[in-house]
Amino acid sequence: MSRKLLGALGWFGLVALLSPGQAYAMHIMEGFLPAPHAILWAIVTLPFLVAGLRSIQNTVKEAPHLKMLLGLAGAFVFVLSALKLPSVTGSCSHPTGVGLGTILFRPAAMSVLGIIVLFFQAVLLAHGGLTTLGANTFSMAVVGPFVSYGLYKGSCRLGAPLAVAVFLAAALGDLATYVTTSAQLALAFPAQTGGFWESFVKFNAIFAVTQVPLAIGEGLLTVVVFNLLSVYSRGELRDLSIPVREVRA
Amino acid sequence: MIHIDQYAYANRLRAVHPGEKLAFAAITAGICLASPSLIGQLAILMTMAAATVAIVGIPWRFYLKLMLVPAAFLLAGIVTVAVSFSSQPDPGLHGIDLWGFAVGIRDRDFVVASSLVARSLGTVSCLYFLSLSTPMVEIIGVLKRCRVPAVLVELMTIIYRFIFVLMETTRQIHTAQVSRLGYHSLSASYRDLGQLTSCLFHRSMLKSQMLFVTLSSRCYSGEIRVLEPRRRLSLRRGLLIGGIDAVLLAVALATRGWQRW
Repeated sequence: MSRKLLGALGWFGLVALLSPGQAYAMHIMEGFLPAPHAILWAIVTLPFLVAGLRSIQNTVKEAPHLKMLLGLAGAFVFVLSALKLPSVTGSCSHPTGVGLGTILFRPAAMSVLGIIVLFFQAVLLAHGGLTTLGANTFSMAVVGPFVSYGLYKGSCRLGAPLAVAVFLAAALGDLATYVTTSAQLALAFPAQTGGFWESFVKFNAIFAVTQVPLAIGEGLLTVVVFNLLSVYSRGELRDLSIPVREVRA
Repeated sequence: MIHIDQYAYANRLRAVHPGEKLAFAAITAGICLASPSLIGQLAILMTMAAATVAIVGIPWRFYLKLMLVPAAFLLAGIVTVAVSFSSQPDPGLHGIDLWGFAVGIRDRDFVVASSLVARSLGTVSCLYFLSLSTPMVEIIGVLKRCRVPAVLVELMTIIYRFIFVLMETTRQIHTAQVSRLGYHSLSASYRDLGQLTSCLFHRSMLKSQMLFVTLSSRCYSGEIRVLEPRRRLSLRRGLLIGGIDAVLLAVALATRGWQRW
């Protein structure tokens, strides 16, 4: 098995290096999932969306200006995903904005903002799709934010420096998103001989080439951003009830 | 800035009721996704591409470029589905021997991968028909009428409006940075992009406060109301959409059994 794995990694590394390089966050493209899978993922995502909408409705009732804040937050996340991360290899990759958005605006709000941002990315940028909106929302706006937030809170509680907590939240949030997407693809297209697991390893290996550097890059960027925010935007961070401490990158 | 959005506001189907365009794209995408036949999916791709270029009036060069946007994902995806390995020689695997591994394509996987390409591109062409012919504001209007929760619709309206404002802000900050020797090395790039992002965040929060003040001074009470252009539903176009989709469905059903190679 490990020999097979090694061979798979080597081969797919080669293929992925040769494929053209604009690495976006991994969204499943329009029409790629068979209809039953597309519908199933939409149903799985629905409760999170409803819970997120409920929590937003309650907060907005008490403080109506938060609706504007969330709207701008959504636009901010969309524009973040259009920025280009500096990279050593020369291929350009784009951050997902999940880590930063989650720490700033909480996972419940991120699930709602996430589905809207994914909808706009599909329609305006032809990136992702409407039939795969459920699956993409589940990986990027449910799993990603919850992993990010859990890691952020967990490592803060364990007394890790804020820079470490922020880096882990952003980088591993991205990785969790990409592994979830690979699992969704492997469930839809299991290999003929090795079944789900072989296919899962194949999808993980081929997308690792773009997604692992992206996760590290986004982790670094988020630390830099958070460091600056804790110096220049203390007021806003306090309004969002985030502890303001000095971070060092 | 976003070309798709520009075409959505300036195309030949601009005056058509958005519900008709949405229904056409959605029904055809549904047929494509559920279609068991490769030929049915290719027929949908051809029909939608022809409709988008000839009727909506999108330049075909731009349309082709747009079709290449998901190419990287599609390529990586189908290679992953199609290519398999085996550490023992495998007669079912058509391919080469690479460092002691048999690397190749199985018959069944080839069929799966090729129908995957047809299905994906077919559905993509339906999405493009919608996004190139219908402005986002009108799509949101249709969603509102379909009883999508008001909070969601309003958030979409605000987000859509401010995407362009923030993109323009980003462009200005980036120009200012580059003209002052920003992004000249890898570490400088991270620092500068970090500054850009934190500045963008700061401006976003400021804009949200200003938006609330502005709306409050205009009697905002939790709901943004805007006039929507009145569009008429046309029976003739409805019949045309129904006819085209019926033909596509018939093609998909009639060619169902053709795929057994």
